[in-house]
Order: sequence, then C-alpha cells, then structure tokens
Amino acid sequence: MRYVKLPSENFGEFFNFLQRLGPTYGPVKEGKTHHFREVKGVSEMDLNYTRTMLPPKKFFVRPRERLFRLENGWWKEEDGERPFVLFGVHACDIHGLKILDKVYLSDPVDPYYSKRRQNAFIVGISCMPDEYCFCKSLGTHFAMDGFDLFLHELPDGWLVRIGSVRGHEVAWENEKLFEEVTDEDLRHFKEFEEKRANAFQKEIPQEGLADMLDLAYNSPVWKDYAEKCLACGNCNMVCPTCRCYEVCDSWVDAYSSVRERRYDSCFMESHGLVAGGHNFRPTRLDRFRHRYYCKSYFDPSSGFNCVGCGRWDEFCPAGIEHVKVLEEVRGSLR
Amino acid sequence: MTGNPYQSHDARILEVKDLTPREKLFTLRFIDPEINESFTFKPGQFVIVDVRGFGEFPISLCSSPTRKGYIQLCIRKVGRMTKFVHKMKEGDVVGIRGPYGNGFPMENMEGSNLILVAGGLGMAPLRSVLWYTLDTGKYEHVWLLYGTKAYEDILFRDEIIHLLKHGETMNCTVKMAYEIESPSCIYLERGFSERVCRGVVTDLFRGESFDIENSYALICGPPIMYRFVIRELLNRKLSPGRIYMTLERRMRCGVGKCGHCVVGTSVSMKYICRDGPVFTYWDALATRGLI
Repeated sequence: MRYVKLPSENFGEFFNFLQRLGPTYGPVKEGKTHHFREVKGVSEMDLNYTRTMLPPKKFFVRPRERLFRLENGWWKEEDGERPFVLFGVHACDIHGLKILDKVYLSDPVDPYYSKRRQNAFIVGISCMPDEYCFCKSLGTHFAMDGFDLFLHELPDGWLVRIGSVRGHEVAWENEKLFEEVTDEDLRHFKEFEEKRANAFQKEIPQEGLADMLDLAYNSPVWKDYAEKCLACGNCNMVCPTCRCYEVCDSWVDAYSSVRERRYDSCFMESHGLVAGGHNFRPTRLDRFRHRYYCKSYFDPSSGFNCVGCGRWDEFCPAGIEHVKVLEEVRGSLR
Repeated sequence: MTGNPYQSHDARILEVKDLTPREKLFTLRFIDPEINESFTFKPGQFVIVDVRGFGEFPISLCSSPTRKGYIQLCIRKVGRMTKFVHKMKEGDVVGIRGPYGNGFPMENMEGSNLILVAGGLGMAPLRSVLWYTLDTGKYEHVWLLYGTKAYEDILFRDEIIHLLKHGETMNCTVKMAYEIESPSCIYLERGFSERVCRGVVTDLFRGESFDIENSYALICGPPIMYRFVIRELLNRKLSPGRIYMTLERRMRCGVGKCGHCVVGTSVSMKYICRDGPVFTYWDALATRGLI
C-alpha cells in the first residue's frame, strides 16, 4: 500500500480534480438522513456522516434499470455508463460492494454490473461509529482493497491510502497537492484508529454463529420477531448486500418494449411463489428467517454476507435490531 | 458463453402437440445453425424461454441430448406467460437461453439400474433421462414409476403405452398409477394388470425388488411426493447419496444472481438454478428447506 498526505488546504483543489473524471456523488444531508447525491463542490457534502439511507449499491445495481430494448423484434442491449466518482464511502460499504462482486462478477459475469464497477472511481473515507454500527466484530471496519483512494482523517488534513493503479495515477497527476507522510501523521492515524476501535457499542460474537443459528432453526424467537415484523422490505432496500432482483417486460408504446429489472424483497409473498400457486416460503416466519439466514450465511472464502453497517437497525419501522435478534436466537439454545 | 448472459437466442417452433388439455409439447430449433449445432445439454437441465416483450420463465428440457438438432419443452398452461405461449403456433419465434443447472450425473450412473419416479408434470425432465437411457443403452435396467391423476393427464401417452407393451425388450419396465377411475384406465389396467393400478406412485413399489446395491433413484414430482417416495426408498436401504431429485423454484436469471431460488441456512446456502436443480437426498438432509 502507498501512503501520502493531503493537507487540508489542498482538499478543495483535489476534489475539483476528481470532478473532471466524471459526475461526482457524495454524502449530502437532507432532513435527518444522508444520501449519495451528485455534488458540485465540497461545501455541499457532509463528510462527518455515519451512514446514508441507501447504500452505494444503488450506483451499481440500480433500483430500476433497463437491460434490453426491443427493436424490430430483437433485443438490443442498453447503452453503457459513463465514468463516475463515488466520494466518501465508508469501509463497511466497500466490503458490501465486495460481497456484491462475489455474486455479480462470478461466472457468468453480469455485464451491467461489471461495466459500472469498472467505470467507478471510489474514494473511501474514515468514520466514527454510532450506536448502531457493529462492523468491527465482523471484520469489515477497515478496507484493505476495493477502493481507489481512502482518506483517513488527521488534525491537519488527510492520510491517503492508495488502493489501485487508477488511484495511483490520480495521485501522480496531482503530485503537488500531496506531501510525504511524517511520523507525527502516523501517530495521529494510530490514535484515531484506537479511538474509533473503542467507540463501538455493539458487536456480534462471530465464533460459531453460523452453526448456532442453523441449530436454532426451530427457535421460538424467530416466531416472536416475525410477528413484530411488518414485512415492508425496508431492510432489503437499505442493505448494502441485498441483491435480489425481479425482471419485467413493459411496453413503451405499441411497437417497442423494454426489459427492466428492479429490486425485489424476500419479504414479499411473491418471492418464493412459483407458477401453479405453490409458495416455497408461505409464511412470514419463513421469509423472516430466510433473510436472517441469507445475511448470516458464512462463506468459507469471504465470511458473512452482513457488513454491520447498522442501516437495518436505524431504518426498520418496527424497531427490530439485527444483533439483538441473533443474540436472542443464540441465547434460546441454552 | 461470452457476451451478455441474459441475451436469448432465437428459436423457431417446429411443432406444437397437445399432450393433455393443459400441457403442450413444443419442438424448437435454433434459427442460427451454429447454435443449433453446438447446443448440448444434460438430462435434468433447464432453459429459460424468453417471449420478447412479455417475459421469461424456466422450463426443463424434455428431449434427450442424444437426439440433436432440436429441443422439446413440455409446457403446462398455468400462468400468464404459459397461457401466452400456448397460443403460439408452428413457425413462431421465441428466445431460448441456457442450458442451466447441473443436470443428472448420467455418466456416473452407467451400468446401474435406474429407478425413475415421476409424479404428474415431473414426467417432463425424466422423459429426457428415459430417452437418454434407451438411446445409449448403457444402463442395466430402467424402471419408470409414473403417478398420474387421470387417463387424460398422462403425459406422452403414446410413448408410455408403447413402453408398457414393448418396454421389456429394451430393459425398461414402466409402471403406472392413476387416481381417478375411467373406462380408459380400466382398459389399460386389464391389459397390463401387473403394471397399471389405481393408487398413488408409492403403490408401484409393491412387489418390485430392485438390486439396491447397484441402483440409483431419480425423482421428480410435486413437492408433497418427495417425502413419501424417499421414505419408500430408504426402507429399501437405498443410500441417500444415490437418490437424485430435481427441484423447482422461482427463477428469474438462471445463473445465480437474482436470488429468488436461494435455499438453506447460515451453514449451507444453495442456488437451485446454479447448484441444482438436481440434488441428492443427502444434500436435502444437509441443507434445510430444500424439500
């Protein structure tokens, strides 16, 4: 990894350079929540945010996107995307993108996702956890790859980790904006990371979690929470690793139609429904449990499907807390 | 396959045949001769039929890879999409992409006895296996145990009756159980009293002795059927690793992306479309929610 320092006074100029790479999206405060929006200047952004409502997956898997357009009876692929900059992504969301990569970039590669992934220039940023974050216990609080540049807060600027060749090229072109990292900067970096590590209030003990949950398949706790759950699907929308999609064809006019895909939610009754009316997940309990198992699936090569971003806890209208449910389910085994 | 995996290839409908009032058999050929030549699959795999402007749906292949140049799909009229497809005629064009899934491990089973257990529409993927075994002749003996509702619902009726008559000369025993009595069924039962009876598919195991050490069972049918058939097979001490079943789920993409067909828990998660649709009974024991 290469490290350089970006002094505070050069931050604006650095940001202006990024804007030349393509439209830049950054965290913007709207009302009580933050959102990734197109930004034209540093002042529009709020870099001290904890989490945005929708994760950056919305730039790669669109809530609604066109796959094909019907032309003279043939499907034509929709045009590609332009390069863009994603500014101020937290470590958990970068890990979330890596989990999506595992699905969409595995054979056969999803061409729409892969195109956008290649076009994205990702700038990560350090953060302080709030009462919902539990990424540390899942090992996703620090990104080692999956970004081009990562900014760590220092009292007088930013410590920049360079994670890709493209990131390196950008730093190279703007050599005059950057400085070498001093020992003092490293001390500040270490202090910040220590302070951050101690700020976490929530954790999931990982050891044996996957196995325990499997054993607790019939736990009454699932049922209690499934009754509380509104099955609205909010958690699917805000989750950085939820990726179910539905495909539908629709007619634009009498001669042309488009094939679109859009987010689907495993809380919807139709999710497990097949032709003929058989539903493989007929009750809310089945669907509720299914989502927990999907998030807590332990892949030996890459770990859990959950990155501990805390969005579920914050945006669940029924106030169901992910960690608490898992803890209670595990507890019910004793 | 390179390029866009969601792009389907044009195929022309060569023949539409009514099998029952609800099911039709479509024979298709790819318009591009190159694809037509290179398209190959295993029994048990499925394709996604793409009716442009209306949608896509997964259907298992019911012809055999030993017969090249065309594919056959048995489609039941059951929803919006299939209703539309049922209106299509010879010469119409649909899109086909695939084949997807793992299929039955036909090579591993060579030289063994196969017990095919089909219930209702489950006959479609197993017909592919049946043809494959008859065409290659590499299998010791094949039993087809077929459970159906009524005489009118027998899929591939001509073929089944032909095999009832002449199956033994091809090392193939066909047995059939029907639920609703009708003159045609009684006529069949009179003709083949040993092999046709009124009842359910598990009744067909009665009086039959299989060489269990050297047998594989291949099951396809409605979800309720698996439990009873598997119980019957386990009673006969067939190893769970030798029981293959092909499963159905909602599938949108067919390539393990869209997430609808995911089953399992925190220790074992499977995509039916990519890791299946053929699973052994052992997989079902190891993965909750599979059957």
